[in-house]
Amino acid sequence: MTRVVVDPVTRLEGHLRVEAVVENGVITDAFSSGTMVRGLEKILIGRDPRDAWAITERVCGVCTTVHALASVRAVEDALGIAVPPTAEIIRSIMLLTQYVQDHVVHFYHLHALDWVDIVNALKADPKKAAELAASFSRWDKNTTSYFTEVQDKIKAFAASGLGIFANGYWGHSGYKLPPEVNLIGVAHYLDALQWQKEVVKIHAVFGGKNPHPNYLVGGVPCSINTEEVAAINSERLNLVSNLISQADEFVNEVYIPDLLAVASFYKDWARYGGGLHNYLSYGEFPTKGYGQPDSFKYARGAVLNRDLTRVHPVNPRDAEEIKEYIAHSWYTYEGGDSVGVHPWAGETKIRYTGPKPPFETLEGHEKYSFLKTPRWKDNAMEVGPLARLIVSFAAGRADVREVVTQTLGQLGVPVGALFSTLGRTAARGVDAALAMVWLKEFFGQLMERVKINEVSTFNGERWEPKTWPSDCEGVGLEEAPRGSLAHWIRIHEGRIDNYQLVVPTTWNGSPRDAKQQHSSFEASLIGTPVANLEQPLEIIRTIHSFDPCLACAVH
Amino acid sequence: MSSPEIGAGAAPVVQKEHPIEYRRVYVWELPVRFYHWINAVALVMLCVTGYLIGAPIRAFYAAEAWQQYWFGWIRFLHFVSAFVYVFNFLARLYWGFVGNKYAKWNNFFPLTRRQRDEIVDVIKTDVLQTRMHGTISTGHNALAALIYFFTFLVFCFQTITGFALYSSMSNSWLPRMFVWIVPLMGGEFAVRFWHHLFLWFFVCFTIVHVYLAFYHDYIEGRGTISSIVGGWKFEREKE
Amino acid sequence: MGQSIWQTMEKKGYSRREFLQLCTAAAAAAGLGKSGVAQVASAFQTREKPAVVWMHFQECTCCSESFIRASHPIVADALLDVLSLNYTETLMAASGFQAEKSLSDTIRDNKGKYIVLVEGAVPTKDDGVYCMIGGRTAQSILQTVAADAAAIVAWGSCAANGCVQAARPNPTGATPIHKLVNKPVINVPGCPPIADVMMAVVTHLLVLGKLPALDSLGRPKEFYGRRVHDTCYRRPNYDAGLFVESWDDENARKGYCLYKMGCRGPVTYNACSVVRWNEGTSYPIQSGHGCIGCSEDGFWDNGPFYQHLPSFPGFGIESTADTVGTIVGVATLAGVAAHAVVTNVRKHQVIAEVRAEERKES
Ligand code: HEM
Ligand code: HEM
Ligand code: NFV
Ligand code: SF4
Ligand code: SF4
Ligand code: F3S
Ligand SMILES: [Mg+2]
Repeated sequence: MTRVVVDPVTRLEGHLRVEAVVENGVITDAFSSGTMVRGLEKILIGRDPRDAWAITERVCGVCTTVHALASVRAVEDALGIAVPPTAEIIRSIMLLTQYVQDHVVHFYHLHALDWVDIVNALKADPKKAAELAASFSRWDKNTTSYFTEVQDKIKAFAASGLGIFANGYWGHSGYKLPPEVNLIGVAHYLDALQWQKEVVKIHAVFGGKNPHPNYLVGGVPCSINTEEVAAINSERLNLVSNLISQADEFVNEVYIPDLLAVASFYKDWARYGGGLHNYLSYGEFPTKGYGQPDSFKYARGAVLNRDLTRVHPVNPRDAEEIKEYIAHSWYTYEGGDSVGVHPWAGETKIRYTGPKPPFETLEGHEKYSFLKTPRWKDNAMEVGPLARLIVSFAAGRADVREVVTQTLGQLGVPVGALFSTLGRTAARGVDAALAMVWLKEFFGQLMERVKINEVSTFNGERWEPKTWPSDCEGVGLEEAPRGSLAHWIRIHEGRIDNYQLVVPTTWNGSPRDAKQQHSSFEASLIGTPVANLEQPLEIIRTIHSFDPCLACAVH
Repeated sequence: MSSPEIGAGAAPVVQKEHPIEYRRVYVWELPVRFYHWINAVALVMLCVTGYLIGAPIRAFYAAEAWQQYWFGWIRFLHFVSAFVYVFNFLARLYWGFVGNKYAKWNNFFPLTRRQRDEIVDVIKTDVLQTRMHGTISTGHNALAALIYFFTFLVFCFQTITGFALYSSMSNSWLPRMFVWIVPLMGGEFAVRFWHHLFLWFFVCFTIVHVYLAFYHDYIEGRGTISSIVGGWKFEREKE
Repeated sequence: MGQSIWQTMEKKGYSRREFLQLCTAAAAAAGLGKSGVAQVASAFQTREKPAVVWMHFQECTCCSESFIRASHPIVADALLDVLSLNYTETLMAASGFQAEKSLSDTIRDNKGKYIVLVEGAVPTKDDGVYCMIGGRTAQSILQTVAADAAAIVAWGSCAANGCVQAARPNPTGATPIHKLVNKPVINVPGCPPIADVMMAVVTHLLVLGKLPALDSLGRPKEFYGRRVHDTCYRRPNYDAGLFVESWDDENARKGYCLYKMGCRGPVTYNACSVVRWNEGTSYPIQSGHGCIGCSEDGFWDNGPFYQHLPSFPGFGIESTADTVGTIVGVATLAGVAAHAVVTNVRKHQVIAEVRAEERKES
């Protein structure tokens, strides 16, 4: 029995430590630990609720904007503010843009190196690579000269030390791609790096900057006026339109084809990393206002035991449904450390009881993470692209069903393959492809509204604190790129009285609960074989398939 | 009691109802009176324009920025008044060393026993109203003088924060001397906040000061109000 | 290792002309202008690709995200051609002890020559347990890494002044880098800083091989010498007194000044209104929201962001110095009025007193 420690787990956001117990080459137990905390829930207390979006947005710069959106929704819910439809559309455009950018960056820059062997790409024949690429993609950049150029770049780079690629698990037997596919992967790694900075200009147009564009309780801060140079006008809209077209091309001609090509070599990974059997989604992309979740693009609900015939309703206000535990986390609760607490009554009392640093292992410590452990009706739930596809699939959303079935067909794997490391990574691609479709759709709707001059972007009825009740509470739900995100707020006399965030990676990456049930990371590692304990490639593959964000998870 | 300067005029006519003899005393020299009124006008300007800078009114008489500049003028007036006010104050400091004994710097510090006793007397007169009349100095009464001293400190504070703010809009040497204040106070936001907050000190000071000027005029009955215009006060002959 | 940038480029088949083009771009990015090109060219030819490590502490990683949004030079080129980024948890291939090895090798092989870029603040409360990497505290890692560094850059408001985790009540004792190392630190504040500003600072360091000119707060004067307000394109509206009065009103749609919506441009030193964000696409004000002052020390505690002045402690969320001032002013007036009334009531008594005294004296 060996305890394999990976710390830092890199190529993700934040500070994650994984300790896995390996017996006879297979993981039998795992511990996922978030090792950085900032205490933002404490910092929020006493502030103006209208400022909360800016503070919570700083929870994470990788999934920037998502907390801002959850926050304004929570405050609007508490104060009873309905956002004008045009503002709602712009918010959807912002979030969809984030999906697309985030997923592409995750695939190429955070996940790809688990599947693509950069060093091996040097052996590729650029001509063959070009032919291969042409067989699955119509991207006109995929030429022999282009792949030669990239290969030369990497050669020179390798000669001068590998920089950020140094000391990877290169040459590990788990790398299965032929050199040409590796080369294509590397080339598109560089292209994706260049492209991602373009698509986020959509955030800059509506929110002024990226990372961390601006939001507003009651709407969006940008005004639309097609007769004014200093507003969202036809020039700005053209820019957005152009960026959406570019994104469409990149997602459908580069990302998705690459994903399918790489996945086809790793079908054995449809057997590992499935983890939990329960999936949660809050639903996202309102089409008839945020108050009507039935009309969201992605459905709200929970799927238990991988039973795709039934979607359970989810009620975030019910004190018995969503609770956070701290039995194994570095916190304490007034009511004892084994109880679960609904976020409206949530507490954030940090108390570190782990080993005194520097330390080698967390072994033997009851508590081992700064993440709390959220549960839905005391079930451990997986959240993320896979979860929302599963919930929407089970809820019978036609567009989701179609693209999921189509992707499974292209890969030649059954529905069951979804419940795996491979399935999770593929689901993210499907999520991005759907996001692209909806992004175009929402942008079309925005243009329609501009045409008929329905351009109000702000509802100011409850802007002034004197119009607020002295006590109120609200919840803002969202499907962030990494899964179900919610902010719970309590307002007293115009100030934040309590503020709790339960974040996608909190669901997935948390330590076990009071009943010793594992959360997603730990559950999905158990049962995975590890070929080389010095190079635990398999561990980081599965962990990366969740696209972990630890700054989010702990906050 | 210290011997007052005897005014040029004859002793006031003693009437039946007022059988006490008064002398005219030349208390406020011209520079002090100039200082006073320039200061009063500049401060009122600073308060009004400063308030408007913090909370501009809606004044849209044109749609395009190039057609109007009222906010720019408000700020300009603030800065002009600021310079007038600062140099006027410096002139007064100078006069504190060369002026007559009523203008001297040592009036503003309760260094002597007499001054300290007078502070108690004035508090009894002004605040407690247990005593309506007493031996109050011909120049500043000791309490007033002490309050002016604190006011001068606030003048300095407001000047420092004002010039610190101004330093980011000017390359001339005077404001540049205050650049270092900004990081010291934790950034321009903080400087502005304090600068703005002290506006209210001036408002309150003016209310109380003007009221007390009239009150003392009334209670002392020796021409306090007119003294700050003409320079003369009256003093009882004996005692 | 140990090749100059020109050598690397030459090997990769770049022409001399292309090389000079890169130098021009770099010079422009570093704010050197045309005359700087020769200087840049010689620096690129003679200096080795410098070793750089990027440390991650208490952060949201938006500074890394911002960095990869750079457009001149684009990050792919910078990573491959300009610098040797040997450690950054966000992007590096290696994990676990292999990642730690990349860091320790870099320190060992480049003593006194490597550059440390720090993202995030460092928690100092409770022996620093609130940020640990590889079982060590951020605090101790920072000391190790800083000891032999040639230069230290503090990215973003987190590293430069503590940012959000240092906002009241700063539960973890988050501390900016310059307070923890006794070396000069280049502060590049902003939440995050503008991508091209970050790249320019890197270029400045690597190309000129020395610290850029810094102000008293350790910020490059080049980018933090002016207030957002000084070069804001809405400034003429400010001077004209044309203000947005409420969100999305007529005036907002005309692009009037956001001062009355709480814009912090007049008190914020940053390059947003000149360099702008995302390759010049926009900046907060251009998209209708006021500046929140994200590059200023302690800006999170300068809220609420939609008020020109901070709310006054103890007087409710909307109170400002003016609320308090008005209360005190009115109280003063009332006091004075009451005093006048009392004086008048006692008038007769006073007159009598005075008369009695006069009689006695005469
Ligand atoms: C002594 C009486 C003064 C008062 C009552 C006063 C009051 C004010 C007030 C209320 C503001 C608005 C602050 C805000 O809310 O942002 C202001 C701004 C300002 N004051 Fe004063 N001030 C005084 C003296 C000065 C002096 C001596 C200077 C020196 C130059 C000065 C320079 C400024 C500057 C530069 C601003 C900022 C203007 C802008 O950015 O547009 N002030 N003042
Ligand atoms: C903004 C308005 C005003 C300010 C800031 C102000 C300020 C001052 C100051 C600083 C002094 C001390 C003079 C010195 O020795 O340098 C003073 C004295 C005096 N002021 Fe004013 N003043 C104002 C308005 C007025 C008005 C309106 C009156 C009369 C109606 C007045 C009557 C007097 C008198 C009588 C004295 C001498 C009183 C004494 O010695 O206690 N002031 N004032
Ligand atoms: N987990 C997480 Fe986030 C996302 N997506 C937040 O809600 O990454 Ni930074
Ligand atoms: S400075 Fe702001 S943007 Fe950068 S890491 Fe800190 S919180 Fe994130
Ligand atoms: S919008 Fe802000 S920065 Fe621009 S002029 Fe107005 S106050 Fe200044
Ligand atoms: S909020 Fe920050 S991004 Fe610029 S405009 Fe203000 S400094
Ligand atoms: Mg939480």
